[in-house]
Amino acid sequence: MVRSLGNRMKASRLTLPFALQDLPRLRPPRFVLSSRRVLADLLSKGWVESATPIVACALVVAGVLTTQHGFFAPANLANLAQYASDGGLVVLGLLLVVAVGGIDLSVGSNFAMSAFAALYGFHILNLPLGAVLAMSLAAGALVGLVNGLLAGWIGCGALLTTLGAMITLRGLYTLASQARLVAISTSTRSDDLWDWIGGGQPLGLPVGFWVLLIVAAMVLTMFRQMRFGWHVLAIGGNRKAARHGGIPVKGTIVAAYVLGGLIVGVSGFLYAARQNSVGSDTGIGMEFFALTALVVGLGGFVPGRGAVVPVMLGFATIYILNNALINAGLRGDFVQFAMGAILAAILAVDVKFRKNRHRLIASTYLDPVAFTVDEAVAGFTPGGDAKLKGAELLATGEVDGPEDVLLDEEGHLYCGTRDGYLVRLAAPDHKQRSVVAKIGGRPLGLALDAEGRIVVCVAGMGLVRVAKSGEVELLTDQTSRSWLSVHDDTTIRMADDLDIAPDGIIYFTDATKRYDIESWGLDLLEGRPNGRLLSYDPATRKTRTVCDHLVFPNGVCLTHDGGHLLVASTWTTSLLIFDLKNLRAGPRVFCRGLPGYPDNVNRASDGGYWVALAGMRNPVMDLAMRHPGVRRRMTRAVAPANWLFGNLNIGGVLKLDASGRIVEAYWDEPDGPLYMITSMREHAGSLYLGGVTNNKIGRLRLPGANADWTGPASYWGRR
Amino acid sequence: MFFRARNSAPPPMTLEGALGPNDRLEAASAMRAPAPDALSVAADGSLLFSSGASVLKLRAWGQPPEPFAQFPAPVTALAGSPGGRVAVGLSGGALSVLDPAGRPLSGWRPPAGLKSIVDAMFLSEDELVVVDHGYAAGEPMLALAAWDEEGRGRIAKVSREEAPRLIAEGLWCPMGVARDAGGELLFTEFERARIVEIGGRARRSGYPGYLGRLRRTGSGYLLTCLSRRDSLIEFLKTERAFVADMKARVAPSHWIAPRLDPAFRHDVPIEAGATRLFGEIKPWAPSFSYGLVIELDHNLAPIGSAQSRAHGRRHGVSDATIWNEDMVAVSKASEELLRLGRGEGET
Repeated sequence: MVRSLGNRMKASRLTLPFALQDLPRLRPPRFVLSSRRVLADLLSKGWVESATPIVACALVVAGVLTTQHGFFAPANLANLAQYASDGGLVVLGLLLVVAVGGIDLSVGSNFAMSAFAALYGFHILNLPLGAVLAMSLAAGALVGLVNGLLAGWIGCGALLTTLGAMITLRGLYTLASQARLVAISTSTRSDDLWDWIGGGQPLGLPVGFWVLLIVAAMVLTMFRQMRFGWHVLAIGGNRKAARHGGIPVKGTIVAAYVLGGLIVGVSGFLYAARQNSVGSDTGIGMEFFALTALVVGLGGFVPGRGAVVPVMLGFATIYILNNALINAGLRGDFVQFAMGAILAAILAVDVKFRKNRHRLIASTYLDPVAFTVDEAVAGFTPGGDAKLKGAELLATGEVDGPEDVLLDEEGHLYCGTRDGYLVRLAAPDHKQRSVVAKIGGRPLGLALDAEGRIVVCVAGMGLVRVAKSGEVELLTDQTSRSWLSVHDDTTIRMADDLDIAPDGIIYFTDATKRYDIESWGLDLLEGRPNGRLLSYDPATRKTRTVCDHLVFPNGVCLTHDGGHLLVASTWTTSLLIFDLKNLRAGPRVFCRGLPGYPDNVNRASDGGYWVALAGMRNPVMDLAMRHPGVRRRMTRAVAPANWLFGNLNIGGVLKLDASGRIVEAYWDEPDGPLYMITSMREHAGSLYLGGVTNNKIGRLRLPGANADWTGPASYWGRR
Repeated sequence: MFFRARNSAPPPMTLEGALGPNDRLEAASAMRAPAPDALSVAADGSLLFSSGASVLKLRAWGQPPEPFAQFPAPVTALAGSPGGRVAVGLSGGALSVLDPAGRPLSGWRPPAGLKSIVDAMFLSEDELVVVDHGYAAGEPMLALAAWDEEGRGRIAKVSREEAPRLIAEGLWCPMGVARDAGGELLFTEFERARIVEIGGRARRSGYPGYLGRLRRTGSGYLLTCLSRRDSLIEFLKTERAFVADMKARVAPSHWIAPRLDPAFRHDVPIEAGATRLFGEIKPWAPSFSYGLVIELDHNLAPIGSAQSRAHGRRHGVSDATIWNEDMVAVSKASEELLRLGRGEGET
């Protein structure tokens, strides 16, 4: 008997009971064009943080170009480059200290002292050039070390420590330079390499400028690629968290001060080689110049940000501005006044922009579109006989949000929970609950593969495979990026449901690329085709986008013939069908005008399909879909809890026949325990019902259903 | 930021402070009363309440009610005079005045063309003021009122000897009438959530509910709210094109509107915060129905409240009064008479 039933089912598997080409074709858009969305996506990019220094620099350059003739002539550019290394290197040194969460006011004095050390070594001690460089660097690093020990190790406070260092060092420098300046300036020692460092122009640029570029590149690499750089940023970002993360906080801070001092030492050395002398005012005011450049680049003293390029742009901005104002023949004090005013304006704009950027994103991110939902098929709305009333309730209070339910050939029941577990309720009474695996994320759709392993769609993670032993393996979390989108959609955001073809390829949906599981409802308010159908081939470990731009693709089910794929499109209240032999042809509409929002789809024992309805349509919500402006304005004017929303408080199950016609509908009572049904599985004459916001699983006996039919048998012939 | 000042209406009150959440309505002792609507304390100290098309008399809490009068249409308003006369408004706009024994008295004629009588009050033994919210018996007032473009409400004075006369027109769905300490008439407006004077001037606005009846008490007033004021409804009032489309395409029973009954329905939308978790609604969830009685002081400022929150059943409170020093209220959703004990303002 069992065998003959099996044979009969095999026979019915061969073909679909309708011609696929008779179904209406659906053409998903190739790309989504929306100016609001482009703006929101651009603003979401990381580099927008640095928009202000870029714009400020561009404006300053443009302003100088229009007002000053010949400022950017090669001769003047070479001149600018010649002197850029002094300030530029000091800014980089300061950036290091600020990034680790400190500040260094002594950079100006340090700069002067290093320059003096170089001159002293060169002219008085007559040291070889290597030793002169070492001496200069050592002078810089020593100051950094003292600052680091006091401020970072002992904890004296960076501002006071470095203020003290600035004053002390300035005093020391004045004493030393007054004592030795005559000897230095009357020294006759000359050295070709020394002169080349001071005035050479390899490849048309001064040596100092090359050094600046190289040091900048090194600092950039350090922040981006090196452990030390990451530690510095981590400490600057959150010192306590960094310590808890096992980072040697104090040592790293001291090292950052030393490194900062070292870079200032380089700057001093270059200055000494170029000028061959120092004056009493060397380095005075340099700390404020450097701080200003830093503030323009970072938009304030932001610890934990190693933004080398914006800071260099900030430096360029004020360096060019300063020089252009002096070039224009303005009085020094007026230059200072103008600089201050312009910088205040730049900072004000930057602060406003930073403060309001997320608001701007929030108000443009959601961009609803007009959308007409098909007229609902009549006769399948709740009311009358509540067929789910009296369904047995399993595991009440023991499962938190079983979005999908799955039964293996032994009759064990599996479901994912909101806290990221895959749970097993053992056969036959499903009372004994055990954890199969801790996955994390939000497990949604489940499927058994040919080897009896469970493949899980996990929102926020991707596709995960759980072996019988409980071992969790991430199969994929990325697909190829779509070309015509500003938003980087490589990452699979909300893997929702899956099914596995006979050849082992896993077809699964990424329901929305733009919203996370907590805010998936916004996707309904937007009503745009934000989802996609993906495939993963375990043999090649390749993930492919099968069809992009579907409207909330949700449940996936392989047809009984094994050659086609049903995909529920939730907000359009329809089911789509794909031909696995010709996926490029795109979907056709299998069934439309469902009375509610379809979630998972699964096979029924009689050759038809079960469709879970997560919620019900209603005339006003359908109408609101035609009015995108209302939805958009609502998201701004009304608190999220009060947003108009699809009715998810009543749901049910539809039974479709093999050709996609609704034949039956199952509902609970309006206040019954089975309200939002997101999945159902038929197994041995019963229907198991899961709900993503429920804490129980329903079991409904199906009189007349084939009691031998199970999912694993239907898919893999296992029983 | 600077342009927002043009909108000078005060922000609506929230259910905080004196109106903070409580479950007094849920905790109250209750008595079943099919299809109740209005209450009135009779001159002999008993409580009259309407139940469908009949008026019942309750001598003491806990005793079975006695029939007082029976009518051909549902009773929609009750008022008693100090002399013992009882005015009864009926669905469809008919008026009947009874003597203390429940026998109809002749000579009371409401103005022609009243659509309804939702509240009444004796000004003297021979003069009555009646409130017509403007919606006929078959019209779903709750659904329509929020989206109407004109005020349909009318107030009339009815005397035993003289011809009746309208004293106000064009009010926005007036639901109740009371007299302030100076004797001036005050009316509640349902969807405008405010209390107005006869000339239409708002005495106080911004109540957190869609208002029902207003009853004078020793310490001020009792104000019943048929539902909580909802920010989605308030927002949609500004969306004229959408509302016009809704009126054109959708039957009123499906409209977004305040409701009396909290039961789950599949054919109306919900608000995003009102989804069930583990089968239940959170008490703080938004809802289109609510149970709310507000105690007001003499200046109409809230001093206390009795509530049935989003997950409760005793929603749609249509009337409340003080009877034997206890606050008594009517819940249309649970079809109950509720005894709440002393009000917060009565201490």
